[in-house]
Amino acid sequence: MTVVLFRVDERLIHGQVVVGWGRLLEAESLVVVSDELAGSASEQEIYRTGLPSGLEADFWTEAMAAARLPEVMESDARILVLTPDLGTMWRLAVAGVPIHEVNVGGLHAASGRESVLPYVYLDPDDRQRVRDFEAAGVRVTAQDVPGGVRVRLERVL
Amino acid sequence: MIVAHGGLAEGFLSALTRVAGPQENLWPLSNEALSGEALTARLGELLDARARGREVFLFTDLDAGSCGLAGRRLLADDRVRAVFFGINLPLLIEFVFRQAEPLDKLVPLMITKSRAALGVRP
Repeated sequence: MTVVLFRVDERLIHGQVVVGWGRLLEAESLVVVSDELAGSASEQEIYRTGLPSGLEADFWTEAMAAARLPEVMESDARILVLTPDLGTMWRLAVAGVPIHEVNVGGLHAASGRESVLPYVYLDPDDRQRVRDFEAAGVRVTAQDVPGGVRVRLERVL
Repeated sequence: MIVAHGGLAEGFLSALTRVAGPQENLWPLSNEALSGEALTARLGELLDARARGREVFLFTDLDAGSCGLAGRRLLADDRVRAVFFGINLPLLIEFVFRQAEPLDKLVPLMITKSRAALGVRP
């Protein structure tokens, strides 16, 4: 399985992911890593209902993702890994998932967060996660859609 | 309610107003800069403010997008009667002129008109 993109996006499965990145990268499967969604069949159904044919979605806990991703990345399927926040992606990296670059999509305005880009708002923990990734040699770039401006987040913190 | 990406919802309403006159019963909303949770909350506020006990249809662009997802959440909570996705102007025109008809008759008519209006020449 080839991971075509590791993306942090609190909307998870939505237009930019399915239409923009999914089509461009020819993703066959979306893997959403979220303990909350992995335990909710009804929420999973709401997300899956709108998917176009040919694109599947799986919902894994962080523990499942940490255990399965290194192994399944050796198959031929093309998957796009989604987490709702930087903290989840960081924990996957710490657990040994070989993440070489992180794409950040929408992290929207919320209490405690400050804007660094029109579609990226970060709190102090998020900023630290970006620095942690960069210190570990993992580039963190913000780019909402293919063709959009790609911004190295470390440079706008 | 029309909820869509970018300025599409306002655009649909603007176009409808040009061809069918003012539409007090259609409320546009963009998902711009809203998280999924915030979008669902905004739609809920719109329903609280304007539905006043009436059945509400939600019209959206992409079923797989955050607008479609929010619509399915509202549908699961019985806050909207139906969610139409992949909409076009002919579908909305049909709704505007036939909204008083029973749902089992209205929906097939809207879908038929919407599909029939799609084509290419030559």
